Amino acid sequence: MKTYPKTHFLGLLAVATIIGVGPIIFDNDFYLHVAFLVGVNYIAAAGLNVLVGHAGQKSLGHAGLFAVGAYTVALLTTRWGWGPWPAFVASGVVAAIFGVVIALPALRVKGPALAMVTIGFGVVVEKVVSEWQDVFQGQQGIYGVLPLTLGDSSFSTREWVWFAGAVGLVLHLMLRALLRGRFGRAFMAVNTAELAAESVGVSVYKFKVLAFVISAVTCGLAGAITAQQNQYISSDFITFNLSIFYLVIVLFGGKSIYGPLLGAIVLTILDATLARWPDAQHFTYGVLLLFSLYAMKDGLAGAIRSAAQFLFPSLREMPTLPKPSERWKLAREEAIKEDQPMLQARGLYKAYGGVVPTNNVDIDLRAGHIHSLIGPNGAGKTTLLNILSGIIPPDKGSIVFNGTDIGALPPNAVCRLGLGRTFQNLKLFNDMSVLDNVKVGLHSRLPGGFGTCLFGLPSAQKSERAATKEALSILTLLGFREMAYQRAGSLPYGLQRRLELARALATHPKLLLLDEPAAGLNPQETHELTDVIKTIKSLGITVLLIEHHMDLVMKISDHVIVLDHGEKIAEGVPAEIQNNPAVIAAYLGVEDDDEEQELDVGEPSDRSIDFSSLSLPGEKYA
Amino acid sequence: MRRAGLRGEISRASEVRVIAILQAIFSGLALGSIYALVALGFNITYNTTKTFNFGQGEFLVAGAFVAVSGLLLFSGKGLTGNLSPEDVTISRYLLAMVLTIVVVGLLGVVLYYAAVRPFVGATSLSWVLSTIGFGIIIQNSALTIWGPSAMVMPSPLGREVIRVGGAGFLPQEVLVLVISILIILCLDWVMRRTKIGKALRAVAQSKNAAVLMGINVSAVIVLAFVVSSSLAGLAGLLIAPITTASVFMGLSLALKAFAAAIVGGLDNPRGCILGGFLLGLLEALIGLWHAELREISVFLMIIIVLVVRPQGLLGQRIVEKV
Amino acid sequence: MFKKSMLARIVAVAAFATLSIGAAQAQDIKIGYNADQSASGVAELGISGRWAFEAAIEDINKKGGILGRKVVGVVRDDLGAPPKSIQNMTELIDSEKVSAVIGPANSGNALAWLHIPQNKKIPVIVPIATGSDITLRYAKEPQNYIFRVSMVDREQVALLVAYAVKASKSQKIAIIGDSTGYGQGGIKDTTEILKLHGVTPVAVEKFGSKDTDMTSQLNKIRDAGADTVIIYGIADGTAQVLRSMEKINYTPVTLGTWGSLSSLFPRMTGTKLSEQLILAASTTEDSNPQAKMLADRVRTHFPTLTTFPCAAQSYDSVMLLAAAMELAGTTDGPKVAEALEKVSGVQGIIKTYDKPFSKTNHEGLSVSDFYLAKWKDGKTVVRYEDEFTRSITAADLKR
Repeated sequence: MKTYPKTHFLGLLAVATIIGVGPIIFDNDFYLHVAFLVGVNYIAAAGLNVLVGHAGQKSLGHAGLFAVGAYTVALLTTRWGWGPWPAFVASGVVAAIFGVVIALPALRVKGPALAMVTIGFGVVVEKVVSEWQDVFQGQQGIYGVLPLTLGDSSFSTREWVWFAGAVGLVLHLMLRALLRGRFGRAFMAVNTAELAAESVGVSVYKFKVLAFVISAVTCGLAGAITAQQNQYISSDFITFNLSIFYLVIVLFGGKSIYGPLLGAIVLTILDATLARWPDAQHFTYGVLLLFSLYAMKDGLAGAIRSAAQFLFPSLREMPTLPKPSERWKLAREEAIKEDQPMLQARGLYKAYGGVVPTNNVDIDLRAGHIHSLIGPNGAGKTTLLNILSGIIPPDKGSIVFNGTDIGALPPNAVCRLGLGRTFQNLKLFNDMSVLDNVKVGLHSRLPGGFGTCLFGLPSAQKSERAATKEALSILTLLGFREMAYQRAGSLPYGLQRRLELARALATHPKLLLLDEPAAGLNPQETHELTDVIKTIKSLGITVLLIEHHMDLVMKISDHVIVLDHGEKIAEGVPAEIQNNPAVIAAYLGVEDDDEEQELDVGEPSDRSIDFSSLSLPGEKYA
Repeated sequence: MRRAGLRGEISRASEVRVIAILQAIFSGLALGSIYALVALGFNITYNTTKTFNFGQGEFLVAGAFVAVSGLLLFSGKGLTGNLSPEDVTISRYLLAMVLTIVVVGLLGVVLYYAAVRPFVGATSLSWVLSTIGFGIIIQNSALTIWGPSAMVMPSPLGREVIRVGGAGFLPQEVLVLVISILIILCLDWVMRRTKIGKALRAVAQSKNAAVLMGINVSAVIVLAFVVSSSLAGLAGLLIAPITTASVFMGLSLALKAFAAAIVGGLDNPRGCILGGFLLGLLEALIGLWHAELREISVFLMIIIVLVVRPQGLLGQRIVEKV
Repeated sequence: MFKKSMLARIVAVAAFATLSIGAAQAQDIKIGYNADQSASGVAELGISGRWAFEAAIEDINKKGGILGRKVVGVVRDDLGAPPKSIQNMTELIDSEKVSAVIGPANSGNALAWLHIPQNKKIPVIVPIATGSDITLRYAKEPQNYIFRVSMVDREQVALLVAYAVKASKSQKIAIIGDSTGYGQGGIKDTTEILKLHGVTPVAVEKFGSKDTDMTSQLNKIRDAGADTVIIYGIADGTAQVLRSMEKINYTPVTLGTWGSLSSLFPRMTGTKLSEQLILAASTTEDSNPQAKMLADRVRTHFPTLTTFPCAAQSYDSVMLLAAAMELAGTTDGPKVAEALEKVSGVQGIIKTYDKPFSKTNHEGLSVSDFYLAKWKDGKTVVRYEDEFTRSITAADLKR
């Protein structure tokens, strides 16, 4: 995506000027009040957009977090004599804590169940503040909430507009910086393909919690500002409709960084204007909502962008690619000696009820070698790969990778230790560009923590530039650099497979697990894949691949492991395996004169047998 | 026969307690059957289209008001006015039921084409907002036609409290329970034994395969929405004699029915039914103990159930294929 | 040449007309109305108040307006939500530049925006919301801008409690109220006034405003031995409480508030059960011929009118405001507020107001305007009398 830093800066300046000068010119308290509301709604929606638009967790309970912020500030100033500014800051902190509280159950569920959990949270908070009247005063409310002060006097309406505007501006800058870098990509990755994200080193758990916390803080601050400006809060302010309203702003505005702003402006002003026609108010709101959904599938921001790109075709241009640099080298902290034990798994066992896909399997992988894992369909190969990469915990057995016991580690930790993988069913981040997909792979290797990215510090920008450079060189290595800015989902199948590989390489693996990398490839592409795997080996990466294309397997493997019905039935160099009677029996059944077929080795002629067509009955394990 | 003395006191007190519990259980089951009906509606559309009507509450409202107007019409009182107990005979009530099913079912067709079909399959949540928007339009139409005042719908079985032992039951509660269970059994039978039921289940499992089998998938989906909406309308009609028909009654009922569906397992019809009854019982029993903690405890419990079993009690765990 | 002078004359007339219209508009007096009309249980109260508000303005304009100027009503619906109500107030005062506001219906909304008209010195007369605190918040200020013509909770409760302590044989009185601000405030007032009589309630229970089954709470009340129950809720809540009482066969002396004046109440409970409730009333549409006329006028816009008192109170609020403006000779806020505390002899629907307000009292209606009533035949509300009502003296009306 092309960026326009100069335009952005000018836009920022323009907005700041409007916020600064507007309230002086338009002294009408009502307009000021509406402007203030726009600011508050923007603050709430900006954070919610990170959760809903970027991380893809649709929440219908954020009125609860608004309540947390509002009541924190109310109780602290009226009951415990805190000053308004410390109370304001405290409300953000308490809201963050509640963000974690709502995140933890939300992590376990998806889709409608997630909606339910967030609704439940919202309802519980709403009921607590309206029923527990001793503390929260219910509908009668708490008044005398201390407003923010400048010096000795509390903010005037104009100063509230400035304050909300300032907070909004700072929030915009921080979120923009955060979302343009690796955090933004990580959120999108979690949204699009959770399992893939986890496997390339993004801790899904941490990022979901982070998204919830960010949205909680902004909604909480919105609540605090509201309570302090009104100097009053009651449980009537906390309704399910408020949660829906914030969600509507986010979805109406679109998930771009400008979405919440557009949504907040349009919907707040609409709400205020429609009040003039009390009889038509609601009706118009409902109709407008429906209409906007038909007309603007990507929200208002998306519609404006499409319109702009239509009017100014130059905006559609992709950024120019920098000149190709040196060949991608994998930097290593310590050298890996060839042949040393890379991975040792002992006694791996996994059972699902009566089905046992992995039955007491031992695996030894040596550094610098290409290992293959073969076996008839249903032998348990993918399950084994899942166990090794940490997606499925083994019931029994141990795995030692490069000296570390990884049996109990989550996939993202396993990835960070240097174990990467690809998936049999492609799991690309389809809506992101090719380049961004690879950059997600680099996620765990990029320096720069949350704070650095949030404040857009130079080190974050430097790290981002380095990431682009490295990602491009990986793409160059795999021969599809020109596609860098294409949308991943629009690539032809063969290139998509290659992208999956590129992403896995970006995780700087010491050991790379490839799950049927040749599936669905035509013979030409399979041949190219062979070269790629050899290149990977030359980079010093150990490989374990699952494959059914026997010619590929036999041509490049140093070591072949054969599984059948969950057990290892043979292993050795390719030549040994081809002639191993147990292996032949497993693939072809007991020897029968009429049906015996010969195994071809070496030439990629059309007489080579694709063993994936000789599937034996067997369960397919997920 | 009352036993005298302290023992008499204690047995009298526990007798009262037992009566109160029985009363609560019965009311809870009656209300729970309403939740079950609406939850079933959610299940049917979710299974066939992976969407459901977020404005289902307003369909409850529509059902209640269409029924009220129907009854008024049958009593010769025009479309708006006040119903008196004599106006509501059993035959008129059943006629009103048919009217409700037809009208609200048709509303379901409009809902599908206006608010669901354009957005099915999109990864964003447009269908959530569009069904909410549609619901807002329905609510405001109802407000314009019938006004914000609640309208009383007398029960066709009268107002006399039925006394069994020391406990009192409203005849309408009995009617609600009986009719709901009948409808649920009927639907269960249709889904399992008839061709149309099989077609619905087929579409739910795999649209592409269903098309290949010659099933008119579009028609089946429209049918799903018709059934789902009719169920909500029916629920409104059944509950109105207990709560009054009000333009604002929809949201809270639909929310709880949704919660019931999720807890029971949104993709399993029997789960939704179970969830509905369970929720109704829970509400009633907690209400017995501490009325104001009712909603809080119910929703907290829902969150806990979902954490322990994210797919719901009878739902199927969806495993991502790796 | 003929054309030129004709043109000049047309232009002159047009200019004059525009100027006068502009001038006339600049001269109009705007009064705002801010209440819920569509979003909650009190919406019907807000609507009935609104149409009476419009009727009053119509009547005033027919008689020549206020201070010779036309009166224009500016109506806003606050959706029963405090943020919206606050926004409406700022719009009415700062954008529409109204001289006074009539509203709201929800006590909670009033409490949320009271400081706005007080700070901007715009008089407000509350026609419906009954929360006692509303007129008391700024009572100690040099000028309190908040007035009310409605059945304020404290006064209603005084009457109800006076009856309760006389009628209760065992002096075991219970309170049950809904969980909204209305019920909350009412429970608080009732408990305090009972204390003035030296009585502590034996049970205080709450119910949700949409609940249909209060048997659990009533069982607890019955277990506590109460023979008198005061219900603080609006029509549907009170009706459900009575239905639940019937379910568990519990018939204490039952008292309720003006909320049950709504015709929804007897329709929900049925005729026979509705006669069990003794409620506080101030006016019904049968009270006098003007009331009947107003009710009919409101019905032309709002056929399902259920709560007449709100219409009457709203009408009277506008009348009092008009009288105050005439007395002050201006629409200037501080002067009108001052004048309100002095007006007298104003003919309203409910009564003739003789110095209804003073520096210390901003309530237009008090317990002396209220009486105890019951539903008869499910159709009309009639004054209720028995040995206990007759024995109530002014001294018993503690508050």
